[in-house]
Amino acid sequence: MTAPVDQVMVSVTEGSLPRVLDDLREAGLVVDTVLEALGVVTGTAEVKAIPALQAVPGVLDVERQWRVQLPPY
Amino acid sequence: MTEPVEVETTGRFLVLLQEDAVEEGLAELGAIAGFDLNSGDLDAETVQVFPELGVAVVSADPNLLAELNNAAGRPGPVQIVEPERVVHAFQDDDAAPVAEDVAAAADESVLTWGLQAVGADVSTATGKGVKIAVLDTGWEKNHPDFAGRAITTRSFINGEDVQDGHGHGTHCIGTSAGPRKPATLPGYGVAFEAEIFAGKVLSNAGSGSDGGILAGIDWAVTNGCAIISMSLGADVPAGTPYSQIYETVAQRALAKGTLIIAAAGNASTRPGRIAPVGHPARCPSIIAVAAIDVNRAIASFSSGSADKIGQIDVCAPGVDVYSSFKLPETYRRLRGTSMATPHAAGVAVLIAEKTGARGYELWARLVGTALRLPLPSTDIGAGLVQAP
Repeated sequence: MTAPVDQVMVSVTEGSLPRVLDDLREAGLVVDTVLEALGVVTGTAEVKAIPALQAVPGVLDVERQWRVQLPPY
Repeated sequence: MTEPVEVETTGRFLVLLQEDAVEEGLAELGAIAGFDLNSGDLDAETVQVFPELGVAVVSADPNLLAELNNAAGRPGPVQIVEPERVVHAFQDDDAAPVAEDVAAAADESVLTWGLQAVGADVSTATGKGVKIAVLDTGWEKNHPDFAGRAITTRSFINGEDVQDGHGHGTHCIGTSAGPRKPATLPGYGVAFEAEIFAGKVLSNAGSGSDGGILAGIDWAVTNGCAIISMSLGADVPAGTPYSQIYETVAQRALAKGTLIIAAAGNASTRPGRIAPVGHPARCPSIIAVAAIDVNRAIASFSSGSADKIGQIDVCAPGVDVYSSFKLPETYRRLRGTSMATPHAAGVAVLIAEKTGARGYELWARLVGTALRLPLPSTDIGAGLVQAP
């Protein structure tokens, strides 16, 4: 059985991109998109790796991505 | 306003677990509620697990609710915690017709009631020179009312181009930046000369996730859009913390001159229940927009300031709203805080053009000039947005 995986978003301190990316990858983040204007990285990570992502220097917050759905007409 | 008092609860809690991490979630629950899954002597009163649903029903001291909610707010396998409710059959009264279903009383032969309500008809501003991003289901590129308009588009949905297969995005673009004098009246666009950026962050089925939405925000900020209009969101239980990441993003966007305006949500069933402002509009640095009808009454569905976290900032027309739609229909009347949001965003464009204000100054002018109405601030915030 494969480990549970989360779609996550990570905010980092100003100016820490792209330096922080290597550390995030090492901590278990599979990077999807780097949003430079916002200082945010999106990607996937195993659920149990989330504390390690949170501990990376320069990381502000790690959150699961929400899904949104428009109501039917 | 808090949760309506008539809701009965059982003293137990429903816990939604991440569907592929049920075991991890139960371990976290046990650590909080003081049971050990491996002890083998758990009775159904203490914890019931529905693995197929990814739901657990837990008996826990009410004092533990805060801790459970904290667990749900953190990244990890515990997603949502709600008190278990007692449900009853509906009374017939609930089926009574609501006033907003009555036909609009306004004259819409020239302009929609919404444009008149926000004073767009008496404003000299047009939105010229101001960029607005609408992050939604995309854009109907063959719509006749937008021929000749410069529209920059981009899709953030894998496998779908920006063409709007849903209609919601085209409707929102129409309200915020559509024409005043289309071949077929009425005119329906607030900032009719704004430069439009149409970002597709919701699929043709109307669904999306934070990854695409944040990518759309990044695109809009990078392109210097003064306003981002987001008629999207997820409903949340009262007391849910706002997203720290969206809050950081919204603050950084404001610092770069981009104001984010989002729909409060359509989860209320007034007058019985007022639902809290959804995600991401519940972030303090994102403008949350409520919906009113043609009689300037709050829309029955409009989410409100039901907890101390998600606050309504302003209101705008959101019932019986006529605007552009995907072909072949071309036009449609819709309701929702989704329709109120582009009215507010269009007004923000006009204020940005006329005053040069950006970021927090634009926020202050939008909220400060809103028309006060005799309705609770918990429903409509400062009031009805007004064109300069």
